[in-house]
Amino acid sequence: MTEPLYQLTDLSKRYTRGKESITIFEKLTMTIPAGDFIAIMGPSGSGKTTLLNLLGGIDAPSSGEVVFEGKRIDNMSQGALAKWRAANVGFIFQFYNLMPTLTAAQNVELPLLLTKLGGKERKQRVRTALDIVGIADRAGHRPTQLSGGQQQRVAIARAIVADPEVLLCDEPTGDLDRATADEVLATLQLLNKELGKAIVMVTHDPSAAKYAQRELHLDKGRFVEKELVT
Amino acid sequence: MFKQTAAITAMNIRSIPQRLGMSLAAIVSIAFVVGVLLAFMAMANGFCATVSGTGAEDVAVMLRAGSQAELNSNMSRDEVLLVERGPGIAAGGNGAPVTSAELYVIVDGKKRGSGTDANLPLRGVGPEGPQMRAGFTMTEGRMFEPGAAELIVGEGVIREFSGFELGEEIRLGTNTWRVVGVFSTGGTVFDSEIWSEIGVLQNLYSRGSSVQSMRAQMTSPEAIEELQAYVENEPRLNLDVQSEKEFLASQAGGTVTLIKFLGWPLAVAMAIGALAGAWNTMYSSVDARTKEIATLRAIGFSGFAAFLGTMIESLALAILGGILGAVAAYLLFDGISASTLGGGFTQVVFSFAVTPASLIAAMILAIIVGFLAGFFPAMRAARVPLLAVHQD
Amino acid sequence: MNGATLVRKNLFRKKLRAILLLFSILIAFLIFAVLGAFNKTLNAGVETAAADRLVTVNKINFTVSMPYAYWGRVASVEGVKNVSQANWFGGYYQEPRNFVQTFAVDPETYMRAYPELEFTQGSAEAFFNNRQCLAVGADLALQYEWNVGERVPLNSNIWQQQDGTSDWDFDICAIFDAEDDNVPANYALFHYEYFNESLAFNRDQVGWLIINTEDPSMNDAVSQRIDAMFANSPAETETTTEAAFSKAFIEQLGNIGLIITLVTGAAFATILMIVGTTMVMAINERTREIAVMKTIGFPAPRIFRMVLSESLLLSLIGGLLGIGLAASLIWLMSQSPAVSGSLPGLSVGWRVTFIGIGFMIALGLITGLIPAWNAMRANIAEAFGKV
Repeated sequence: MTEPLYQLTDLSKRYTRGKESITIFEKLTMTIPAGDFIAIMGPSGSGKTTLLNLLGGIDAPSSGEVVFEGKRIDNMSQGALAKWRAANVGFIFQFYNLMPTLTAAQNVELPLLLTKLGGKERKQRVRTALDIVGIADRAGHRPTQLSGGQQQRVAIARAIVADPEVLLCDEPTGDLDRATADEVLATLQLLNKELGKAIVMVTHDPSAAKYAQRELHLDKGRFVEKELVT
Repeated sequence: MFKQTAAITAMNIRSIPQRLGMSLAAIVSIAFVVGVLLAFMAMANGFCATVSGTGAEDVAVMLRAGSQAELNSNMSRDEVLLVERGPGIAAGGNGAPVTSAELYVIVDGKKRGSGTDANLPLRGVGPEGPQMRAGFTMTEGRMFEPGAAELIVGEGVIREFSGFELGEEIRLGTNTWRVVGVFSTGGTVFDSEIWSEIGVLQNLYSRGSSVQSMRAQMTSPEAIEELQAYVENEPRLNLDVQSEKEFLASQAGGTVTLIKFLGWPLAVAMAIGALAGAWNTMYSSVDARTKEIATLRAIGFSGFAAFLGTMIESLALAILGGILGAVAAYLLFDGISASTLGGGFTQVVFSFAVTPASLIAAMILAIIVGFLAGFFPAMRAARVPLLAVHQD
Repeated sequence: MNGATLVRKNLFRKKLRAILLLFSILIAFLIFAVLGAFNKTLNAGVETAAADRLVTVNKINFTVSMPYAYWGRVASVEGVKNVSQANWFGGYYQEPRNFVQTFAVDPETYMRAYPELEFTQGSAEAFFNNRQCLAVGADLALQYEWNVGERVPLNSNIWQQQDGTSDWDFDICAIFDAEDDNVPANYALFHYEYFNESLAFNRDQVGWLIINTEDPSMNDAVSQRIDAMFANSPAETETTTEAAFSKAFIEQLGNIGLIITLVTGAAFATILMIVGTTMVMAINERTREIAVMKTIGFPAPRIFRMVLSESLLLSLIGGLLGIGLAASLIWLMSQSPAVSGSLPGLSVGWRVTFIGIGFMIALGLITGLIPAWNAMRANIAEAFGKV
């Protein structure tokens, strides 16, 4: 069997707030194979976003290991992690987090500034990414001139433009109406099926979770797994 | 309206700690503007007060026509005697006219600040000379003896220059002179001078009986006109006659104008720079409170109250800065001693004077900056759309 | 798009704010450059002083003259290559307020003492051979629109001729200038003999001596020999280098250096605070964007450099505009004959410009350091997932 994309072993995360110590999860173990599409659900405070942060290497576990394609990332330096994220992870946020001063195309191009690609090739990649998410006609617009759904499409294009292995999505439809949410989720599903991107999506919305291959329910730091039939 | 404005102003002022850095920057930059302006004005005022503020109106000063300064002038003994026969000159106890023929030469002193040589006036005075300067007193030592190579030194010279301390021996040419006294004329230009008896000085400089200038105590300020008429009608006299006050004012003019011409443009340029900073602060203040202002407007506060609230905040910052700058300038500059080259091509020692008029001028400048800095941001505050109440 | 695009777009995100900051920086550098230009011109005498040139004056004060014989005696001092002598004339043209700096000199030795002076009109021979010649500096000629061939009278506010008048007639027969703009050419020279023979008093005296030594290393020895020669005479002397003499003269005006330092210091302190606090606030407003960029994979040092570049760019644009404006203003002023007459060679100059650029970089670094540090340290996990 090929190596899994993520292997999490005995993962614990604790925060101290004032004198109090809060345990988010204790000895969590899970495997995410390449090409997976997981919806992580659970009540507020169940540790969904923390888990996403650990997968993205933007937070470190209190103990345990996060292994990505056979390499531990939980003990990498900040600099190495930044490099790793740029090459392997795409992020999609609830509030899109586009740069207000840049156009849609420039926002998508942003991660490519971290690569050695030349201007021409960058332009080509941006074009392709915008085409995939179906927003190429808005390339020259600024975020404030776009609707929420359009902004989220630009954000998805930004997440995939550097061709990462995995997309980490934090409530990607949390700020969208039903119809727009369905369009965005369909796009994510397409990226998973056609381009083989692994997707880990944190969501509150059961109908959003339906687009995933499987749902994980996180409650008080423990998983309750459900295989989905799609 | 007053209550509304007060409420908004209070809200603005309470929110200052959130922009503490920027508010402080605005205050301090205005303080710097006021400080620089006051420093230059204190310099100009101090110099002006020393040179032109103290000349007597009833003392006539006579110089060779066209010579402009005592250093350039010269008069013969005959001319002096002719003038003494002129009208309007007060008589002394012995019935003789009260005049002082004087020699004015330059000697080197060392500036305490830089250690470099500077021009100091050495004045040979007649017996009536000291009395003709109002407020003349010996503060240390004694008066020079007639005929002796002795000097008395103004207290301004002692303050700013080394080499003329009491008891010091000074070689000028082949003679050795001794400093026997320190005198004061209460901060006038004469405090920057060194005096000796005229006869001894004439001898040293091989001037025979010629002098450079002459002062005459007049019976009244108006009597100077009589003397002027007399000198003009006397073909053997080719002199300019002025009151001492006029003469000293003409000597101060150039320097004072120069200092003011330098100070004002600098202060205005700095004020424009500070204005940009204060403007920035006020715009951020309005931006940061857009939602609060919209909320107040939604519950019925007027746009004008919002305008006034911002305006008052801006003026408060400016006035605070102005006061800070004025106090700092007063503490730092008022009374400090300095010297520069005056109209007589010699050093004039003066004290910086922060005057009430210059304080008012500086505060007005601060308030103008505050008003301009507040105006456009206040307009923006007044026009905050009510819908901004929903802004997050 | 590249890194520079990001810096530029971020800087001008709030246009009004950026313009106000640029403006306040511009003003500070304008003040710096204008004062620097004045200071440079005032100190031109020190800067352009020749290393081998000494000045001998009466020890009492330089306004007191010395016997004519001193000139010849100094010429024989060991180490002296050339001696000339000059006298203050106190001249004015028509009206006392039209001050004309005029010196009565010995022409041949004087021109030898100042090899940097060249005749642009007329010739050295014309000056040497015409006893009534007035050699006019180019700046002065411009001020009064004087040309070679004109006949001008100059009055003295000090000296009188034997007939009781105080005006001398001159033929303008040469105009001189120096290649280096910092060397002043705002004065006029004429023959000592023409001056001396007509004087009513103080004849056969010289004002000061100008000495060229054989080598600057001999300056001290030559000074001591000259002053020792006249010790204990009625007119003792004091010999210093030309630079020291000029410096002492400027110091007489007051501590100009200190005044300029205080004023520019106040101007710089002002913008340091204004720009510094505004940059901190501007970057704080962008904490979330910065966190997103870090999440995407921008390494912390790169974020640090980006923010620092932003404040550097701001400082350089504002500063260069300020120095540019100062250069234009100073140039306009120097076109006025009255200014070029009293402050010849007034210009901002490269030295002030380079020091200015140094200050711009320092300002950019200082104002950018704290916000750049904050940006670099921004915790990305905290910015992720919340509004």
